[in-house]
Amino acid sequence: MAGEVIEGTASESRVVVVAEMTAGSGGAGSGDAGHGGVAILLTLAAVVAASIGFMAAMTSSSANSSWQSALRSEVKRSAAAMEDVRYVYGAELPLAVRIIQARTVQAEMLAAAQGQSGPTKAALLLEANVQGQIVTALDSTAGLATNTDYALSSGGLDLGKALAAERAQNPQLVSLDPDGLEAAGDKLAHKALLLTAALIPTSGAAFLAVLAQPFKRRRTLLLRIGGLALAGGAVMGLAVQVLV
Amino acid sequence: MIAPDSAAGLRAERRFDLVAAVLIGVIAVLAAILALVEMSAGQTASRASLQAAKVEADLSARISVSAEATNAVLTARQTAIVLAMEAIAREQAGIQYSDPTSTAIGAAEQSAYTKLDSILVETGATTGGKPVDPYTAGLLGATPADLKSELAEQNHQVDLANAAGFQEQLAVLGLSFLALAGVLTGLAAVLREGRSGRISLTAACVMSVAAGVLAVWAFI
Repeated sequence: MAGEVIEGTASESRVVVVAEMTAGSGGAGSGDAGHGGVAILLTLAAVVAASIGFMAAMTSSSANSSWQSALRSEVKRSAAAMEDVRYVYGAELPLAVRIIQARTVQAEMLAAAQGQSGPTKAALLLEANVQGQIVTALDSTAGLATNTDYALSSGGLDLGKALAAERAQNPQLVSLDPDGLEAAGDKLAHKALLLTAALIPTSGAAFLAVLAQPFKRRRTLLLRIGGLALAGGAVMGLAVQVLV
Repeated sequence: MIAPDSAAGLRAERRFDLVAAVLIGVIAVLAAILALVEMSAGQTASRASLQAAKVEADLSARISVSAEATNAVLTARQTAIVLAMEAIAREQAGIQYSDPTSTAIGAAEQSAYTKLDSILVETGATTGGKPVDPYTAGLLGATPADLKSELAEQNHQVDLANAAGFQEQLAVLGLSFLALAGVLTGLAAVLREGRSGRISLTAACVMSVAAGVLAVWAFI
């Protein structure tokens, strides 16, 4: 009868109560062993839970850090693209358009002058000369309009090539990959969640260990199941840490 | 000599111990569940919040870049239109004042406008074309429909962050209740079976139930 739980139906009798109390005190040795098992399982559960919690918190922090990096990278990438586009379209293109306009007007004035004579021809040639001087004056300052790599056969400009060349000056800004960083953060977050899920069997082990204290008759069974749950939680945590 | 109510007293004490033990176990399990819910909700809130900021940055870049490119090409074509208007004005003035020189210059400018506009249309068509990298090309080619869709996604992420933040708060509140329940259970274990002990244990039970309700609420 050592270590047995007191049964309610038998406790009304003074004799039985005396017998059970005597049995309880007589089984002190095995009771201490049971208490030791409970204490050990609870301690182990606490240690495993703390370890898993620490790993989960660190992994979650890494996930958050990766997401933050993704945002920073996105801002950096978009700022670089905006600056390059602003330079090509805002600073270079207006000057290039003015040069193209002057060239076109000059060519048309010269063509028109071919069929004219006298003062009209002179005025057309004068106007062509004015436009030619504009082209000469601006040519040295407008790389977009003078670089033959960007010239189209029609006299226009290949803005795609010009922008790509501008962007290629800072390849590290073009190769920024915020989406990749975000995906890495997602993976770490998933890992942190799985690690946290390993706390559930671990807490189940603590639950069973605590239950083993009042349920003396089932103490061994509860401690064994608790041990298995604890092992399951620990293995799950380790597996997630190593494999995921 | 054992009093007649000794057995009843022992049973009550046993029941008290049992309730306290079960409560401690429930607190441990609920703490794990709430930690999982809190972690999940916290991560969802953080990610959605950062995603909203990321989409906002992208949206801002798309608006800025596409507007810059479109405006630059349109402004260039406006320059050509001004040339055409000047050409027409010169031709009209030449006719009005019988000045063939002005008419000839106007005609040449008119012809220049036609060619210039054609050149500018062709130039504008190269915007975002190869070999521009796909990201920049995407910014340049953003349409109002794209921007509207991205704005809806940004709003969705903000809503998601708010909802997940609320879930996280529920989980934290649940954990706070659990901590209180733990303290009350410990107090009950010290006070043992008696009026004060029973009150502590009952309060701990109520706190644990509240934490359980919050865990379910946060999970849903």
